[in-house]
Amino acid sequence: MKRFLETGNFAITEGAILAGCRFFCGYPITPATELAEAMSLRLPQVDGVYLQAEDECGAMHLCIGAALGGMKAMTATSGPGYILYGDPFGWALGCEMPVVVLNSGRVGPVSGITGAPGQGEFYLTRYPTQGGNFEAVTLAPNSAQEAMAMVVEAFYLSERLRMPITVLADQLITDGFEDISVPENEAEMAEMGFKVWPRKHCLGPDFYPFTDELDIPPVQMGTDAGGLCSDWTPTVEGYDIEEVEAHHKHAWRLIYKVRNNLHLFEHLHEKKHLDDDPDLVVVSFGTPSRVVNTAVDKARAKGLKVGALRLKGLWPFPDHLFSRPTRYLSVELNWDGELVREIQRAAPKDSQVHFLGSCGDLPTIPDLLETFEKTVKDQPLERKGWVLEAW
Amino acid sequence: MEYASSKLIDSYLRSRKIPSTACSGCGLGINHKIVVQAIAELGLERGDVIWGTGIGCAGRQTFGTWKGDGFAGTHGRVYAIARGLRVALPPEKKIILTVGDGDAFGIGLLHLIHCARSNAAMTVIVNDNLGYQSTGGQFGFTTPQGVKTDSSPYGMFEHNLMSEGMDVMHILKGAGATFLARHVAMDGPRAVESVKAAIQNPGFSLVHMPYPCPTNFGSRHLGSRNQVNIYRWIQEHAAPLGQEKEDTYWATGVWHDSRGSRPEFSAHVWATVDKIKRTGAI
Repeated sequence: MKRFLETGNFAITEGAILAGCRFFCGYPITPATELAEAMSLRLPQVDGVYLQAEDECGAMHLCIGAALGGMKAMTATSGPGYILYGDPFGWALGCEMPVVVLNSGRVGPVSGITGAPGQGEFYLTRYPTQGGNFEAVTLAPNSAQEAMAMVVEAFYLSERLRMPITVLADQLITDGFEDISVPENEAEMAEMGFKVWPRKHCLGPDFYPFTDELDIPPVQMGTDAGGLCSDWTPTVEGYDIEEVEAHHKHAWRLIYKVRNNLHLFEHLHEKKHLDDDPDLVVVSFGTPSRVVNTAVDKARAKGLKVGALRLKGLWPFPDHLFSRPTRYLSVELNWDGELVREIQRAAPKDSQVHFLGSCGDLPTIPDLLETFEKTVKDQPLERKGWVLEAW
Repeated sequence: MEYASSKLIDSYLRSRKIPSTACSGCGLGINHKIVVQAIAELGLERGDVIWGTGIGCAGRQTFGTWKGDGFAGTHGRVYAIARGLRVALPPEKKIILTVGDGDAFGIGLLHLIHCARSNAAMTVIVNDNLGYQSTGGQFGFTTPQGVKTDSSPYGMFEHNLMSEGMDVMHILKGAGATFLARHVAMDGPRAVESVKAAIQNPGFSLVHMPYPCPTNFGSRHLGSRNQVNIYRWIQEHAAPLGQEKEDTYWATGVWHDSRGSRPEFSAHVWATVDKIKRTGAI
C-alpha cells in the first residue's frame, strides 16, 4: 500500500488504472482538468492512451469508440461538459457499451462558478440523454479515497451491466488534497474491496438478447463476429428495425437489467445513528455529507435524536432506505431541491420531508444544528430555501 | 439470370439488407456498389473491414449491409466514434464509413475535421444527395445555390461550402486529410479507382460522391420524379478537374493525394506511448 497526500483527481486516476482503464479522452474543464492531466501523465506509463478531443461530445464518442474496440475507457467533466455527453451517453446506453463517466459538480446553471462545488446534476445523471426507456446508475463518493474505490466499482458495474455509469463527485472531492492509500497488488485490492471484471466480447448471433441477465459481454468490432450495433432500435441480431415489439424488448432489457439486479447496489449507503428510530433522518450525498456527519454527532451530544443517511448510490434510487415514516431533511448543494423530491416520492405519506439548500459553500454546522433542532421540534424554518413548500 | 453484382453481394453483403429499402431510382446503391467493388478489387475479406454509418438516407440504407462487423453512430458522430475505435483496432483493419452530406458537412463537420487533422486511418464515403432527403428534402451545406427544396422554396440563397468558389475539399485539405477525391455516382470505374486509393491510404481519406435523389430533390427542383432527369442534371453539372465549365458544381477526380506524407493517428499515438513507457519522454 502506498500513501499519498494528493487530490481526488489523483485518486480517481489510480482507481481507473487499477480497474483496467487504458483509454481516457476528455476536454479541459474546471474542476475536472487535473484529472485529465493526471491521466495524460499516468496512462502512457501503463500502456494506456490519453487523448484530448475537440469537445466533450467528441470526447465521450472517442471513449465509446475505444470501448467498441474492446478497451476499458473513461471520460471526465463537469456540468457544462456533462450536458454535451447527452448524445454519446444515449448511444452507450442503447448499444450497451461499458464506459465510465466522472462528473465533478460545480455551481450552475450553465457555466456558473467554476471553482466551487455544486450538486445540480442529481436528476441529470438519472436522465443524461433523451428518449427515456432506460435505467441509469450513478455513484456518489464523499472523499478522494472513496472516489478511487467508486471508480473501480463503476468499471466493475459497467462491465457486468454493460452500460455507461456516472460517478457524481464535486469540486471539493476532485480538487481537495487528502490522505490517499493506493493498493499495490491484487491482495491489497481485495483487502480494500476492489473488484475487477475483465472485458469480454459478444460473439453473437444475438447481440441484444431479450433478458435481464447480467454478464453478457458487449458487442465488439474487429472480431469478425458479424457484430452490429447502432443508435436505432435493434433486433436481437443488432439490425435496425422500426417495430414496436422489438423496441419493447430492447427497452425492457435496458430497464430491467438494472431493476431486477438491485443486489448490486444494496451496499451503497452509509448509516449513522439510525438504529434507534431517530426523530429526524438527515439525507445527503457527496461532500455535504461530511459536514452533516459531524453535525449529527454534535446534535446527539446535545440530546437531539438525529441520524444521518448518506447515499453512495443515487440511481437506481434506494427507495427501501425510506420505508419508515419520520422526518427527513435533505441537505444539498443546490437551491432548487433535487434529492428532496426523490425522498418525498419514496417516503411514506405520513412523513415530513424538508430541504436545506446551499450552493458553492457547504452548510455550516451551526446552521445545520439550528435546522435539526427546529425540524425535530416542528418549529417553522424561517429562512427562504429551508422549506420546499410548493410542490 | 445472374447479375454481375450477385457475386459481390454473396461475398460481402447480407441478403437480409440487400436490396435496401431505398426509393425507386435512388442513386445510393450505385455508390454502395462502387465501394464494395473497390473492396473486392483490393482483395479484402469481410474480416478486414469494419463498416460504420451515419444518419440519413446514406447511413440508414447502408447500415448492417456489410457481412462483417458494423456500427452506426448518431447524427454526425460516427467520425468521433471511429477515431476512438481506430486506437483500439489493429492497424491492418480498415474502417469504412458511409455517411451523408448533412452528417459529414453539417452536424459532424467538427469531428470530421479532427479526424483529418489527426490523420486517423479511415475512409469516409460522403454520399451526397444534395440535402436532407430522409426528412423530406431540406437544403444542406453542399446544395447548389438557387436550388429549390422544401426549405428553400425561393431557391437556396445561403452561402455554403460549395458556393462562390468555395469547396469543402479545400477545408478538408487544409485540415490535413491525406487523400481526397470526388466522383458523381455515374463515374463508374474512375470512382472505383479513387475509392481503392482511399482505402489503401494509411491515413484519413474522404471521397465525396454526389448521387441522384429522384424522390425529393428531383421532384422539387426539377419538377419530376423521372429518374432520367436527375441523373442527367447531375451529369451535366459534373466535370473532371481541370475541365470545369461555368455551370460545373462538382469537379471530379483526385483532389489531393499525400498518402504516407505524415504518420497515421493511432500508429503515432501507440508509438509515442511505447516511447514514453520505455524512456519517460517523447
